[in-house]
Formats: sequence, structure tokens, C-alpha cells
Amino acid sequence: MKKRTQLFVLLLHLAVLQVSVAQQPGEGLTLMPEGTRAPEFSLPDMDGNTFRLSDYRGKPLIINFWATWCPPCRAEMPSMQRAWEKLQQEDILMLAINVGEDEDTIFQFTANYPVDFPLLLDLDSTVTGDWPVKGLPTTYVVDPGGNLVYKAIGGREWDDEALLDQVRALKK
Amino acid sequence: MPVGMNWRQLKVTRVLVLGISLLLISAGNTEILRSEDSETGLKSWKWSREGISLQLVQRLPDQTRGFFQARGFTAEEADLIAGSCVFQSIFRNDGSQLLSYNLDHWKVIHQGVELPLQTAERWAQKWQDGAVTQAARIALRWSLLPTRQEYRPGDYNWGMTSYGVAPGEQFDLSIVVNLDGARQIARINGIECARDR
Repeated sequence: MKKRTQLFVLLLHLAVLQVSVAQQPGEGLTLMPEGTRAPEFSLPDMDGNTFRLSDYRGKPLIINFWATWCPPCRAEMPSMQRAWEKLQQEDILMLAINVGEDEDTIFQFTANYPVDFPLLLDLDSTVTGDWPVKGLPTTYVVDPGGNLVYKAIGGREWDDEALLDQVRALKK
Repeated sequence: MPVGMNWRQLKVTRVLVLGISLLLISAGNTEILRSEDSETGLKSWKWSREGISLQLVQRLPDQTRGFFQARGFTAEEADLIAGSCVFQSIFRNDGSQLLSYNLDHWKVIHQGVELPLQTAERWAQKWQDGAVTQAARIALRWSLLPTRQEYRPGDYNWGMTSYGVAPGEQFDLSIVVNLDGARQIARINGIECARDR
């Protein structure tokens, strides 16, 4: 029993260590080749509402691919929520597509990481496979015309004003 | 934040983490740092060059077993992964050049024999018979470091890497990366797979 307790404490420490290290975010947005179309998708959220990419045409959109078990994904969620609180008043949209996890898992996650922007379920990861995603998290910025303009591989501080200004500039 | 931890406890733990003793590997290669977590005893190796870095952190086999069993693998399947020397890997580009790599070009040197890394594609081949659930396959695919990736300055990934070596064994790792298209090779010697506890 004592050995199991020690192992539990050790695994808990490792979880803390991961969160600590994951809090070193990446920087900036990478400009993508001009004219790269964002692949269409149709995905449900946890309430069964369907979201389509084409519904967002005409507005800049930030799309994040993530999973609950991914430390940098968890680390960037609070800054995404802070960014969303600014951007939704500016007609800039944000979605996060979860890769391969069910709604119960995501629901439990949101108890510790409350967010207001839509969390979509890509249960069989087909949509994620259609996008040029290789690792998690990866985030894309889609312009009002439906083109991929920027990407970020790894977590970011999404409420950084310099970063958000790049997204805001797409409205013009 | 982990359940049961408040921010103060997390901060204290972060200070402890900062207290990890760093030991420069004595092979004369100043690009490689070996460190050991004073709390857990887990070891890590960090290779750095021109602003890019690859850090390999030991994962306990029990950590890996638990992770994959919780995501749909049977005990036997999770044991197979856990027994293949899995590291948490953090690959960052904090430099100014385009970094790209292909894990199929990397080599594990174990007891004088060159072995390939156990990439997502190699693991997928092992589960071809369809016995592994879709959820489990997806978890494995996305939890591993991408086999091929490009990092612009500011980009990074976390992901597991597995080396096909038994727990407690040592191996050397030959790394190949491209920096702005120029091929660069490095070697990390004496990487230790975590033992079962």
C-alpha cells in the first residue's frame, strides 16, 4: 500500500512538473502561403449543435486543434479564453477542435479550464487529418475569405496584444 | 492545474523544479545537458544548437501504462508501449532559422546495433489487425512527437518518443535536423530508459 501511495505522489509530482514546463509558450504567428484554402468541416459541439466552417465566412476566425491530455494545450487555454473575451466584441471568432476525445472527457476538463468559445468534437480525427496538422496544439487563423493566413505550432499567450493585432488586421 | 494543488503549491513546486541539478555531460559536447529531478529521480537530456533544442525526459513505464490504458488500450497493449522506452520530448525552435526533421532519419544505437525509432507509423503497423479501438489509435497517433515536422521560429511540439529498448537499458541517439535546409547531425550518448518502480 505504501509503495502505491509513493507511486501516486510521484505521478502527481510529474503532472505538476509537466504543467510547469508547459507554461513556457512559443512566440508569434507564421504566415502561410497565399491562397491556402481552409478545409471545410462540419462538427458537433458538446450540446450536439453543428458548426460548419462556411458559417464563419466574412469574419476572421481562430481555430485551435487540441486534446485534454496535451500539456501545452492545457497551458494555453486560459489565455485563449482571455483573448476570446476581447475578440468576441470585435466580431472575431474562435473555435477549438478536440482531437479524438468524447464529450464526457471534455466536460470534465472544462470544470478546471472553463472556456466560453465553442469546443467541437472530432471523434474520429477525420477533420484534423484534412487540415495540415501534425502535432498538438496547432492553431490557424482563417481570413474572412476562408483562406489560412497564419499558423502557430505549440502553445501561445493568445491574449498578447501584438499577436491579436495580426488577427485584427484581417478585418480591414 | 492538477486537482488538489493551489497556485502557491504549484509555485513552490516550480521552485523545486528550478532546483534540478544540471550536470554537463563530460563527453566534451557542450550542447548536451543531462539533468536529474531531485524529487522524482527522473533524468532528462537536452540537446541545443543555434536556438533549437530537443529535451528528452524519462517517463516511468507505469506513467505510460496508465496513460494508454485510460485511452482504450488493453493492459497487454499498454504494456507493450510502456516497455519500449518512452520519453516525453520537447522540440523547440527559439532560434531564427527554419527547423525541420524526419524521425525516420534518426537512429537508436543500442549495444552496437542501429535501430529505428518507434514512430507513429511503426506503431500503427503493429495494430493493423484492428483489435485496437479507434479511440486508442487516435490517442497514440497524436500523443507521439510528429514523425516529420517543420518549426518556424517560435514554434514547438511536445510528444512522446519511443525507442524500442527495454526499461533500464541505455542507448545512444543519432539526430538529424535541417536548419534553413542545411543538414546537421548530432549524437546524444548514454540515454537511459526509466526502470519500472
